[in-house]
Amino acid sequence: MDEIELSRQLERVHADCFGWAMACCRHDRDEAEEVLQTVYLTVLDGRARYDGRSSFRTWLFGVIRRTAASERRKAWLRGLLLKREAGSLTPDVVAPPDAEVERDSRADSLRHSLARLATRQREVLQLVFYHDLTVEDAAAAMGVTAGSARTHYARGKARLATLLGDARDL
Amino acid sequence: MTIDDNELRRRFAQMREAEREGAPGFAQTLGRARARRNARTTWRVRPVVLGAAAAVVVAALWLASSRPDQPSAVAPAIGSWRAPTDALLQTPGSDLLGAMPALGASVLDAMIPTTSEQGA
Repeated sequence: MDEIELSRQLERVHADCFGWAMACCRHDRDEAEEVLQTVYLTVLDGRARYDGRSSFRTWLFGVIRRTAASERRKAWLRGLLLKREAGSLTPDVVAPPDAEVERDSRADSLRHSLARLATRQREVLQLVFYHDLTVEDAAAAMGVTAGSARTHYARGKARLATLLGDARDL
Repeated sequence: MTIDDNELRRRFAQMREAEREGAPGFAQTLGRARARRNARTTWRVRPVVLGAAAAVVVAALWLASSRPDQPSAVAPAIGSWRAPTDALLQTPGSDLLGAMPALGASVLDAMIPTTSEQGA
């Protein structure tokens, strides 16, 4: 696959990749963008090669997941987390309409509940419910066996449903 | 109260919708990635160039300090040098003073030729 074809493929799945990068970076938008930039360069430079064993999107999700983990380790080493916390003050923004507030509130509730799950559980649920992957494809993207992914899926889903139900009852 | 699969799908769909609205475009992401790479390359090259220059300077200084001093073409070697006044130190009978004396022999024997030596 040449660079032009690779770019086309990447563009086709870009929105999905951004969503997955967000999930891998605990919904930190800046970090997700940086991870995605690194991944695109890695793929276009040929440092990560698609071998055709799964779909292009599934393979790319695996690359994003590994890159995010690697970037997180580097950030921890550099002490960037501290800097980010210091610079996390954001300017006031115009209040969004009620419908957006309602939707964002629900999304926040889901994010908070997801954050309380184990990493593998969160990843498999994100891949299945957000990206509509099968559990088997999710296992390929996560680099685990299908059986292990099914276990994480069942446990994670039950825990998430409980967490969301508790939040709704409050 | 728990939530079923459909409700979970609906919530994830809402989150996806919210995130996609604010997602940067592909061209923008790729453009930023390339700009970042170029900036990194520049910063990576600078230390290499500075390091190479420093290595050249250190090597030049080391070579200059380790090179042996060349002897002058006109200066004589120290082993063969003789003072111009050495001739004044040669006195008559100096060979007698420099030789080991033998028991029973007279200094005069060495100085006065014997009759047999005279006849020869």
